Amino acid sequence: MSAAAGKYLTFFLGAEEYGMEIRAVHEIIGVLPITRVPRTPPVVRGVINLRGRVISILDLRRKFDLPPVEPGPTSCIIVVAAHAAHVGLLVDRVSEVADIAAADIAPPPPLGGGAQTDYLVGIAKSAARVRLLLDISRIIDAGDVAAAGPGGGAPTAA
Amino acid sequence: MTCISRAAPAWAVARRHSSSRSVRVPPASRRPSRAILSRFERLSAGIGRLGASDLETRGALRTDVLGLIDHVPAGHARACVSLRLVAEALRPDRDRGDRQPALHQAARTLLDAVRRYLSSPKVSDRLSWIEGPERSTIAIMRNLPEASPALKPRTSDLIGLTDRRPPSVVARAESLPALALPNDTDRSLLGDFCDEAREYIESAEAALLVLEREPDNGDAAQTVMRAFHSIKGTAGFLKLDGLVALAHHGESLLGERRRRDGFAGRIAALSLRALDALRDTVANLDASRAGAALAYPPGFLDVLRELEDIDVEPGAATVEHGGSRSASAPTARDAAATHSARVRLDRLDALVDLVGELVVAHWMIAQDPASGHDHPELARKVAHAGKLVRDLHDMSMGLRMVPLRGTCNKLVRLARDLADRAGKQVDCRVEGEMTELDRNMVELVADPLMHMVRNAIDHGIEPPEERRARGKPAAGCLTVRASQMNGQVVVTVSDDGRGLQRDRILERAQARGLVRPGEVLNDTDLLDLIFAPGLSTAQQVTDVSGRGVGMDVVRRNIQALHGRVDVESMPGQGTTITLRVPLTLAITDGMLVRVGEERYIVPTTNVVVSVRPERGALFTVGGRGEMVRLRHDVLPLVRLHRLLEVHGASEDPAAALLMVVAAGDRRCALLVDGILGQQQVVAKPVTAGIGEVAGISGAAILGDGRVGLILDVPQILDLARRAQLNTQAVA
Repeated sequence: MSAAAGKYLTFFLGAEEYGMEIRAVHEIIGVLPITRVPRTPPVVRGVINLRGRVISILDLRRKFDLPPVEPGPTSCIIVVAAHAAHVGLLVDRVSEVADIAAADIAPPPPLGGGAQTDYLVGIAKSAARVRLLLDISRIIDAGDVAAAGPGGGAPTAA
Repeated sequence: MTCISRAAPAWAVARRHSSSRSVRVPPASRRPSRAILSRFERLSAGIGRLGASDLETRGALRTDVLGLIDHVPAGHARACVSLRLVAEALRPDRDRGDRQPALHQAARTLLDAVRRYLSSPKVSDRLSWIEGPERSTIAIMRNLPEASPALKPRTSDLIGLTDRRPPSVVARAESLPALALPNDTDRSLLGDFCDEAREYIESAEAALLVLEREPDNGDAAQTVMRAFHSIKGTAGFLKLDGLVALAHHGESLLGERRRRDGFAGRIAALSLRALDALRDTVANLDASRAGAALAYPPGFLDVLRELEDIDVEPGAATVEHGGSRSASAPTARDAAATHSARVRLDRLDALVDLVGELVVAHWMIAQDPASGHDHPELARKVAHAGKLVRDLHDMSMGLRMVPLRGTCNKLVRLARDLADRAGKQVDCRVEGEMTELDRNMVELVADPLMHMVRNAIDHGIEPPEERRARGKPAAGCLTVRASQMNGQVVVTVSDDGRGLQRDRILERAQARGLVRPGEVLNDTDLLDLIFAPGLSTAQQVTDVSGRGVGMDVVRRNIQALHGRVDVESMPGQGTTITLRVPLTLAITDGMLVRVGEERYIVPTTNVVVSVRPERGALFTVGGRGEMVRLRHDVLPLVRLHRLLEVHGASEDPAAALLMVVAAGDRRCALLVDGILGQQQVVAKPVTAGIGEVAGISGAAILGDGRVGLILDVPQILDLARRAQLNTQAVA
């Protein structure tokens, strides 16, 4: 699957700029107090109370094997709707909503390195900027799988 | 609803009456005679003197009370219902415990009320005489462990007082038009009809299974006939000719035909098929409300034709039965109307959810320092509101509680069908089917239970020859037992079959790479493998089980309900699978504990006691981990912060607190830093984007708006046990 043209929400993790399809985005909120959930992989930051709903927060930095940092003043949680549930993604900074034309999208390079290549569906190039377009639903699927591994497995797996 | 005056079904009329709040009372000329009234006096006095162990007297009094029903003047349906309640309270097998005096008192009060009701000259007095005691009696009896189905007097249960004149012409299968609803059908009435029909079908099904064991059980036959009769009446009103015909023939099949030929063979089989056809048609009708195309289910006409063939003398008796009492019917309906109301499920759910949030919201107010010691007046008001909120909560939870009876009946039916198909003989027993559970939970446990029954019949119980060869009775025994324990509902499905074949399980598990060759498992872990995905030990794949998608799904579904599934099995003697689920998912009563920098909620149902241990109470059993001695118990010590990987927690048990928790019969002492308070929380799932988290059953919003995690004590015990085994292995 490759990325389609359209509106993308772009955000930063460190110096890299990423984009996700805007229709997946439910809302963007500041960082609320996060309750850690034990026995989950590091990518699971924890859970927050979003107006009475409990939603889980995935740390995209850790997801992409970037060095972890504590949330700062520009940090945001992007709440996305996926698989009939809401999940929050912790990012360093939200940038803009960009209209990305089909002509600007290149297929993801066939390179092996970096965890994010699994979720990368395209690369958008425009005036001296490179934005990595992500498939959010794949990230969240992988989050489920990751949790089932170390502590979350069925007792029978022992 | 223009045509309602004609042959309106009882609920339709009930609705009309309840909305206009009118009550019709029979004419005074039908007053009971003095003789009957004095019998009431005698009975009432007799019950008053009744001792706790007078089982015989209870039985005799009960017979008297039941006899009295026949003498109650026509039109006093409510009095009849109340008398049935009295009779129910007096049933000798009803209650041997300490509540007997209360029951007797309730029965006597009710009997008094019936007497006053019947003798009261004033119309307005009558209902008030009887309604109060009746309510409290129902309340008392509802709290008994084994409430009987008779406790729910329904429209049609009013002792034959129903007025549903059967249509004079019953349609024939050969000339039956396609299933269709008249254009003027009131769609909401159709919904009510479907609900009511389903309940009738369910009760009829249970009764048919009773009949199968006891072909001469007249009560059971009556129940089935009443179901057919009621559905017939209502279907007639809705002009559903096919249903009318089917129910009509079904009724006479169970009536004259059964009385003449007994309940066996073709009659028994056809009754069940007729019921199935009814159920499927009702399902189609229900689906049509959501826009699905309407048609008779496959096989409907075949069943109807067979019924016509067998029914040589179409229902003279039933016509008489319906007609003779019709004059008194309106009051019967009025009486029923005050008894129950149908509420849409989504509204009920929304109500329960809202009350759940209210409980939490109130807790936040009560915790607020502003309503604390400085303002005693405000604190008092908050406390008062708190009591009301708790009552409201209890009451709203009660609204959604339903007995497991319907599910149990389905299981028995399934077991029977499967056994027939597999050429096996099975004797099904159900115990504790009146155990109550949140209705949402009832739906969710039904599928897992079906899986368990399928497995028991398919893999557990042997064919008759094999059983005989092993010296067992040819018929296998399947027992479904439900009970309530420690705030959980426990359902066990046991069979006396061949038991789980451990060698085969191990073989399969090794073939699937679940167990390394040469790895030694203890028996519990070995049996636990049946819950692993893709493991099936069936030699043949049948159409119902044996594809290896059974028990793993069962465990996953039950764990999702914060429950657990366990298995026990003795080779050659049978298998017992135990399923434990909480009564409800909506609200958890919890203790808020601090562990290092984190807070967790421990469900109060799991908490036994909290103590600050003395240093000498701790000891280590060589290689078996830490233990703590508390009074007479020795319990494993679980350092929660290690299990949950929390920093900053106290390492010294003597400086911290031990919370003894239990799940089923397993217990341990959790090391926590302190208890912050008790709190009711609305449990929410944490799984989105994370998946299942071992040891955590859910999350809740705490008083300060942050999220707190709810510990899953059974899983914590599992984790602790495994952690200990690992330590042992390292040591």
